[in-house]
Amino acid sequence: MRKLISGAIYLLSGAVGVLAFIYPFFAPAGAVPQQAMAHSQDAPLLTAALVGLSVVALLVELQGRSLSAKTVAMLGVLVAVTSVLRFLEVVFPMPGGFSPIFAPIIIAGYVFGGRFGFLMGTFTLLASGLITGGVGPWLPYQMFTAGWAGLTAGWLGRASKWANRRMGDPRLTSSVSRFAPNAATLSSHARHLDVLVLCIFGFIWGLLYGAIINVYFWPFAAGSVEQTWAPGIGLGETLARYGAFYAVTSLTWDLARAVGNVALILLLGRPMIKALERFRRRFDFQVHRSHPAPEPRVDVVEADAYA
Amino acid sequence: MLDARVWFLWAVTTLVAASSTRSPLYVIVMLLTTTVVGATCATGEGRRAPLSPLRFAVVSVPLSALFNGLTVHLGDTVLFHLPDWLPLLGGAITLEALAFGALNGLTLTVIFSAFSVFNQVTPVRDLVKLTPRAFHEGGVVLSIALTFIPQTTQSLKRIREAQAVRGHRVQGIRDWLPIVVPLLVSGLERAMGLAEAMVARGYGAVTDEEQPLRTQGLLVLGLLLLLAGWLAYLFRAAWRIPGIAAMGAGAAMIGLVVWMTGRAVHHTVYRARAWTGKDTLAVLGCTLTLTVTLTQREVLYYSPYPQLTLPAFDPLVGLALLGLLVPAIVTMAAEDARPLASETQRDEGTNGGF
Repeated sequence: MRKLISGAIYLLSGAVGVLAFIYPFFAPAGAVPQQAMAHSQDAPLLTAALVGLSVVALLVELQGRSLSAKTVAMLGVLVAVTSVLRFLEVVFPMPGGFSPIFAPIIIAGYVFGGRFGFLMGTFTLLASGLITGGVGPWLPYQMFTAGWAGLTAGWLGRASKWANRRMGDPRLTSSVSRFAPNAATLSSHARHLDVLVLCIFGFIWGLLYGAIINVYFWPFAAGSVEQTWAPGIGLGETLARYGAFYAVTSLTWDLARAVGNVALILLLGRPMIKALERFRRRFDFQVHRSHPAPEPRVDVVEADAYA
Repeated sequence: MLDARVWFLWAVTTLVAASSTRSPLYVIVMLLTTTVVGATCATGEGRRAPLSPLRFAVVSVPLSALFNGLTVHLGDTVLFHLPDWLPLLGGAITLEALAFGALNGLTLTVIFSAFSVFNQVTPVRDLVKLTPRAFHEGGVVLSIALTFIPQTTQSLKRIREAQAVRGHRVQGIRDWLPIVVPLLVSGLERAMGLAEAMVARGYGAVTDEEQPLRTQGLLVLGLLLLLAGWLAYLFRAAWRIPGIAAMGAGAAMIGLVVWMTGRAVHHTVYRARAWTGKDTLAVLGCTLTLTVTLTQREVLYYSPYPQLTLPAFDPLVGLALLGLLVPAIVTMAAEDARPLASETQRDEGTNGGF
């Protein structure tokens, strides 16, 4: 029952967030509030509020199961390390949209699971935004998108676990901890296949991140007819126009991010997975409440003897 | 210094006001306001903005004007034509399109400027304190991250120096591997120590506390109302009002869950910052601007298409936008009062000496 409700929360918050981003693709003619008039700016504000609320709902659910000290400490430190990488990006401008923060988020999500990945994605963007002066209206969108990159990386890890089971991978371990439910899929030596899959995943998210962030303002941007949205143009035409807009304005920029993700995962993937896996096992300890001390039976016996 | 919550409200109000208009007159009023507030309040040793608003404007206004001018071929005042065989760019280049692009750049500058001020005037510690109680664990994660960032930077420096001593030179991306992996491992070692210390002090000793089913149920209900309201708002013109009401109810329900979750968390403050009259004045200023912005959308509306015209300016609306100036006014008033107060104290001290 609890799992069902939890799944519903994931699904609904994802649906609200995704719909807030992509609704222009499905809006019929006349359904959008008086586009060209004074209230044309209402929808972006409403969208921002919806994205913010869906992030809040997901955070409540993810935190609801009480984070252990180990998760809190590891998350905090990994967010710090990744934020420092983003700080480097601000100090030394990187080509195009390349950012070194996505590869660690994806790899951590892959190893530790979707919950950890989502939290790492959102908190990395928040903490790095705070230290680099990057707090702004764009931050909820960045947090939402990076969080989902981490969350889906966790799902990928789970799929990898399933595939490994199907293949009867002898390196699978049976120690499944609540802290890292899908980490058991990974052996102590990360396989080349994992890195390859992560490279493809990182490439896709490199492009997807820019494409998603664009969508929140694209319906309201002015531009040539071939690149802008208009009510009632249909899904196919909308996709074609968005494709043209994306190709002209963002593709080169986002390609740098996608290729950068692949390069970083190729470079860091194996050693990072190995390190995270090793620490996952070291962190896999539980603290249980000790049982109450046994009654001093001797005294009772003595009392009986004296009775 | 104003409360961080007041600054947050100020930044959000500026964002809403700037997003609500493309009239150059109102936008310039807001730009001047944020500039004055920045010059008055962001003078301390806060975080330095990565890019000054002026530099941002120098880049964004011409770039936005150029992009819009080249790709939008609407408007009556044709300046020149580009050959039609040029994909996307071919067609009439109009004054209106250039003007609209420049206005977009100017609006972006206002938003950037407001958040640049917000980033400079609010210490990170105060921002972390804004974390709602329901997200106290998130707040702890954020605090740990922000505390470890300087240590991680130091570690990075030390590792780079150690590798340099061994003859390692960073020339390409591959050369970062011997730096990043030790950085990660040393960070994880620190996390291990921190986790053990936290467990030893009783943090998270009970790791499997489940969220009450009632809370989860309310969350599902709130999200369902949000989704249903949003769909009704978008796809059924006749259901827009019920849609807005459903979204409001959904948002309220999620807010209720956050409040209920937070109520269970005991919160203590070492040194609470007192709410002052200056904070109240700044909130009133923002409320005035926000109210006028949300109710006078038609007055704020302006479009240069199809022909560039002089925008109308309502002095009352302009005056309401000056509500954003209150933080600068109260800061200046406090600075003016400070020398007087110190003089008074000095006089009192002297008199006491006699």
